[in-house]
Order: sequence, then structure tokens, then C-alpha cells
Amino acid sequence: MVSKGKTRVLIAKPGLDGHDRGAKVIARALRDSGMEVIYTGLRQTPEDIVEAAIQEDVHFIGLSILSGAHTHIFPRVIDLLKDRGAEDIKIIAGGIIPDEEIPKWNDMGIEAIFGPGSSTKDIIKYINGKNIE
Amino acid sequence: MNKEQFLKKLNESDIRSVARLITLIENEDEIAESILKKVWKNTGNSYIIGVTGPPGAGKSTIVDSLAKHLAESGKSVGILAVDPTSPFSGGAVLGDRLRMSGAQSSGIFIRSVASRGHLGGLAATTRLLINAVELLGNDFTIVETVGAGQGDVEIVQISDTTIVVEVPGLGDEVQAQKAGILEIGDILVVNKSDRPGSDRLAKELQMMLSLGEEKEWKTPIVSTTATSGEGIELLWNEISNHQKYLGKQKFEAKRLEKFKYELENQISQKLFTKKIIEIGDSEITNVSTKILNREIDPFSAVDNIIKE
Repeated sequence: MVSKGKTRVLIAKPGLDGHDRGAKVIARALRDSGMEVIYTGLRQTPEDIVEAAIQEDVHFIGLSILSGAHTHIFPRVIDLLKDRGAEDIKIIAGGIIPDEEIPKWNDMGIEAIFGPGSSTKDIIKYINGKNIE
Repeated sequence: MNKEQFLKKLNESDIRSVARLITLIENEDEIAESILKKVWKNTGNSYIIGVTGPPGAGKSTIVDSLAKHLAESGKSVGILAVDPTSPFSGGAVLGDRLRMSGAQSSGIFIRSVASRGHLGGLAATTRLLINAVELLGNDFTIVETVGAGQGDVEIVQISDTTIVVEVPGLGDEVQAQKAGILEIGDILVVNKSDRPGSDRLAKELQMMLSLGEEKEWKTPIVSTTATSGEGIELLWNEISNHQKYLGKQKFEAKRLEKFKYELENQISQKLFTKKIIEIGDSEITNVSTKILNREIDPFSAVDNIIKE
């Protein structure tokens, strides 16, 4: 079977918290929906993440952060992508992000945020709803 | 971006463009072929090291340490790491990068590749992916296979030096006598050498090699503990030795063999596709039904179709 144009997603776990269960659940769910998931594991710096996203030519970066470090990491990832001329890579996020902050992050370029209790089906639906090149 | 701009970026070894070309090749996009035609002359300049072995043997960690070692001695490296695609969903979790933080922080280009239904330990497009990576101007390309079974020997068709990674605890000495993956190693590695049974495995492999015919190149066995980097320098020395042993003449002869094999493959694939389209689905169903009902045997059926 010829498989053309797979959706590629980088799942990264920036910051210092070690709770990667959520990230692994998402990686598995995306795999089972036919996507290619690059899983980079714990304690990735924004620089690591952006470099990996470019080398892997992904359509989406999924960031999982539970420690509150997103206030530092989100802007950094957004800026680095801009610096590399790779703003077309979409960022989605999960973990503990306060509801009242979500509109602000959406404006800054985090396309979608999936908090605790989100269904993997919704995440897959969201990604599939975006037209990839 | 138009094609001219894309080509210009590729000639400048722009990482994003090389990564994009890899995607196009993986997708078997027509654009990839037209681009590769243009850049073909600039490819083929890296020494290709293949790393294979069973799942969990430590291939990624060895690749990581080796790549870091090379980078520290001033050599440039690119890595292609293949992981399996699910036969059910077509998706994949590509996790080799997880073990390659050393290479990643040394600025080495790493690309995770899904096998996309191809068997044998690699993706069908691997050779072309190497060519794409070579546009970065790297001295070495390291290709890591899917966690391989005994018969996944395709890596040998790709690499200049093939490394087979084994670990203690997987079977008795008869396993070492079996045909397949152990035969293709130019270098055998016993990884996790801090574990019990590793000395014995090294001895069994040594015994296996000594029972065979005397060969010009004596396959070395290197013990490593990849997580601590132990033995990696020895491994690199053996790769260098193998490279020296090949020299220009054997190296080129080996590569010529590969291109012959590849060319035959390409021809048979193109002819195959052409013929299948020519015959058409209804005729295939028709003849298959006859075979099923024992009206004709499959051998004559094929002969008839090919003669047409």
C-alpha cells in the first residue's frame, strides 16, 4: 500500500516535571489514528524542540507541561520558530494551563490547548481538521 | 517556494529544505524525483555506517555515542533512524530520538523514519533518504534499522560498514550458528557488557566466526556499554579499520554491486507497475477465479499473461 502525506507530530515534554504519562497517551492515540509521532521524551529545551521539529519536518508540535513553566516555554518556542522561518509549524499544548490564560496563548500562536479531561478523539479531530500541506 | 528556490536552498545545505526533501521522498511525491535528478551529482559523498540488531539491544544509544564521538573528532554526521509503522493504523511512534540527546545537542542532523509497511528493517526509500541527507555535506551517514529479526538483512545493501548489535540473554549458542543477521556484520557488538552473560556471548560469537571459512576481513567483536560510552572508541577504531581494509577499490566495487542491485529493483518495479496497469483489475480477477476453480494452474496462467 502506498502511504502518501502522513501527518507528522512531534510530542515533546519541556521543563523539569517528570510526568510523561499524558504525553505517552497522546503519542499512542495519534499513532493509532495513523499519524507518525516523533516522541522526544523528558526535559527538552525549547531549542531542542524547535531544532527537532525542523529536522523531522513535522506539521505540529505538541507540548505537554504540568509545572507552570509554560509561561516561559511557550513564548520561547514561538520566537525560535519565527527565527527559523518555521511559523507554519503549528503548536498545540496540553497539561496544566489556567483557563483564563488560554485566550492570551491562542493570540500568541498556541493554536489549541487541551487541558485535563480532554478526549484524545477531540485532539485527533482537531489535527485532522487542519489542512496539512 | 518554487523549484528554483528550493534547489538553491538545497545547494546551500539548508536544514529545513533537506528535511522537506526527505518528506517528499518518503511520500513518493513526483517532485522528489525531479529534485533528486538535479542534485544527484552532489550526493554519494558520505561513508555509510549501518547499525542493526534486535529491539532493545541499544542500537539508538550506540548510534548516539558513536555520532557524538565522531562530532568531537571534527567529523560531520547525519543520522537516519528507522522505526516500524503499525500494520493496522499506518501510524508510528518514532522514539529513537529519545536516546539521542547527545547527538542532538552536538547539532547533528537526526531524522526519524517510519518503515511504512516495508519489510527487511528499513523504509523502501532509505537509499534516497541517505542521498538527501548527503546534501548537508556530512562525512558520515549512520542508518539505524528497525529492531531486526533474524532475517532482516537489507541494511547490508545500504551500508559500507555494517554493525550488528547483540546483547546477552537472548538465546543459547545454537542461535549464534544460525544463518541471517549475524552473517552480515562487518563488526559485531556485544552491548550491555556490564550484564551477566556478556563474556560468554562474546566467546560464543567468536566460536561461531572461527568455525566459518577463513575470510580476508576478520570480523571483530567489540564489547560496549553504550549508556556509559564504554567501548565506543574501540568500535570507532574497528570501523576505521574496516574502512581502511576496503580501500578505494573494494569500496567502489561494493558500491557498484549495490547500484546494480538497485537498478534491477527499479526496473522490475517500474515494469511491474506498468504491466499490472496494462493487464487491468478485471483480468486479474478473471484469471485468479480460473486458478481458484482449478481450470488453470498458476504457472501457466502467469506464462500466458506475460506472453501477451
